[in-house]
Amino acid sequence: MLIDINAYTGHWPFRQLQHTTCGARLQFMQKSGIDISMVSNLNGIFYKNTQSANEELYEALKLDRRFAGRIIPFAVINPIYAGWKDDLKKCTAGMGMKGVRLHPRYHRYALTHPYCIELVKRTRDLGLPIALSLRMVDRRVSSWLDISEEWSLKDVLPVIREVPDAKYVILNAVNSMQLTNEETNLLKGSDFLMDTSGRALTDLGNMIRSYGKEKFAYGSHSPILDHVTGLLRIESLRTEEAGEITKTLLRYKNAQAFFNL
Amino acid sequence: MQKKINRRSFVTHTVLSSAGLLLKIQGVQENSGSFANASLHKENEPALMKEVMKYRKIDSHAHVYFSADSPASQIDFADRLGIERLVISRNLEPFSGGTPEEFRRCNDLVIQCMKAYPNRFLGTMVLNPTYREASLEEIKRCVDAGMVGAGELYNQVKINDPAFYPIIEKFIDLKMILLMHSAIGRSRVVLDAGEPPNISLPEDFVEIAARYPEAMFQFAHTAGGIDWEYACKALANSPNVYVDISGSNNEAGMIDFALRHIGEDRLLFGCDNSFYQGVGHMLAANLTEIQRRKIFFDNYNAILKKSGRHVD
Ligand SMILES: [Zn+2]
Repeated sequence: MLIDINAYTGHWPFRQLQHTTCGARLQFMQKSGIDISMVSNLNGIFYKNTQSANEELYEALKLDRRFAGRIIPFAVINPIYAGWKDDLKKCTAGMGMKGVRLHPRYHRYALTHPYCIELVKRTRDLGLPIALSLRMVDRRVSSWLDISEEWSLKDVLPVIREVPDAKYVILNAVNSMQLTNEETNLLKGSDFLMDTSGRALTDLGNMIRSYGKEKFAYGSHSPILDHVTGLLRIESLRTEEAGEITKTLLRYKNAQAFFNL
Repeated sequence: MQKKINRRSFVTHTVLSSAGLLLKIQGVQENSGSFANASLHKENEPALMKEVMKYRKIDSHAHVYFSADSPASQIDFADRLGIERLVISRNLEPFSGGTPEEFRRCNDLVIQCMKAYPNRFLGTMVLNPTYREASLEEIKRCVDAGMVGAGELYNQVKINDPAFYPIIEKFIDLKMILLMHSAIGRSRVVLDAGEPPNISLPEDFVEIAARYPEAMFQFAHTAGGIDWEYACKALANSPNVYVDISGSNNEAGMIDFALRHIGEDRLLFGCDNSFYQGVGHMLAANLTEIQRRKIFFDNYNAILKKSGRHVD
């Protein structure tokens, strides 16, 4: 069993991606041994009205019964765009979305913007997680039309500080993982799950020792990144770093527990 | 990318830990872009690691560092991922003067590492064509010490600068390859502000490769921060430029794209110290068994064979 907590459907405007539809994704998952993918629609990063992207994903998932339980949708919500409270309600109550992915740099607001904090609190009250990706693409290679800022781990902490009792998903960990002791304690005290797609996870064994084996889960950041690297970080752990029980947690059990699947 | 890994705590393995490294692949299976058929669904069956260990590998783009954990850290990663040989260098710093003292010091480190791990490391040398005589002397010293090529050359001098001509001619005589760093370059239209002025761009490789068709060049790291679609298209018609797929940016589809434009005989597996990405995107790519074997091992070994310094 394998659950990918960091995948996408939809289009990236600056480079052709593969298996961007739900049908193509499911086929790809079957070929790659991935049982469940948690996805949002990339179009939600680029549409001004992100709700259109959520509706697209919802409609696409209705087309084939085989998608149910295999492709798990996340909403993309922009809290500084009109109607976001209704969008959140429709996505979670009406469309069954399992969490919210935020893209503050693309949507141009600070993570501590009062409306963002409000969104995080409402999502928390629904018992659902907030997902933050430290970057979507490598800034070095990104398009001249794309943003060029990336986050490091430190940059997600302000919202955790504001709403420490929400659930957080930290995706595509890149750049510095250095935190002060105070920041480390803040993160350790929060309910977070980090995926294994990011290049900063050069020593997952050590991360598990520091933060706990329940805090990590397989994620690919696919179809932007390849789907094997994130799994290789898990499977190549030596027995002294992660035994079979821990690897099972990382492959799917942590995701199941965190997202109530 | 020259990111030093400094957060690692590692366990040193002094012997090749996997018998799988020495296995020859039996049979040919088309379109092996996944590990699914080996059944990831079953517990206790590390299908991915079996797949990883199945292939002999030469990391065509590796580094050693002036740090306490090097080269043990690189060997540790290599053991973990079944990388049999690593082609190592210690490049000159991007904005350094690249004096003979500096490049000799870098090459001394490589020689020291080659001695420490003779069955794992293949060394390549750095030099600076600005210092012509000192560079030519250094080539002799390093070849005598058992090195197999030049690299990773950095941005002291552009690869197509006339100052490089005598160096390239020497490597033609030696039948050895020259690995040159590639850059972010003009990924965002204008030359990246962080790049030294003498950075080699894909077009510079095209020009020098046409001038010296008998020379062998290695274009560094498609995953190292360059617009790899641009680079592969630019190098499509330069048959004596090999392209290594190393680097930290494991964007999906990169190797498939490179395969279409560069072809299976000119692509080289490499990590540039991003070991998971290097192996990971190879196994994610839509490659046949033959293509995997070529890119992981055979292509680079064929290069080494020309100078008689190949791996058995
Ligand atoms: Zn380089």
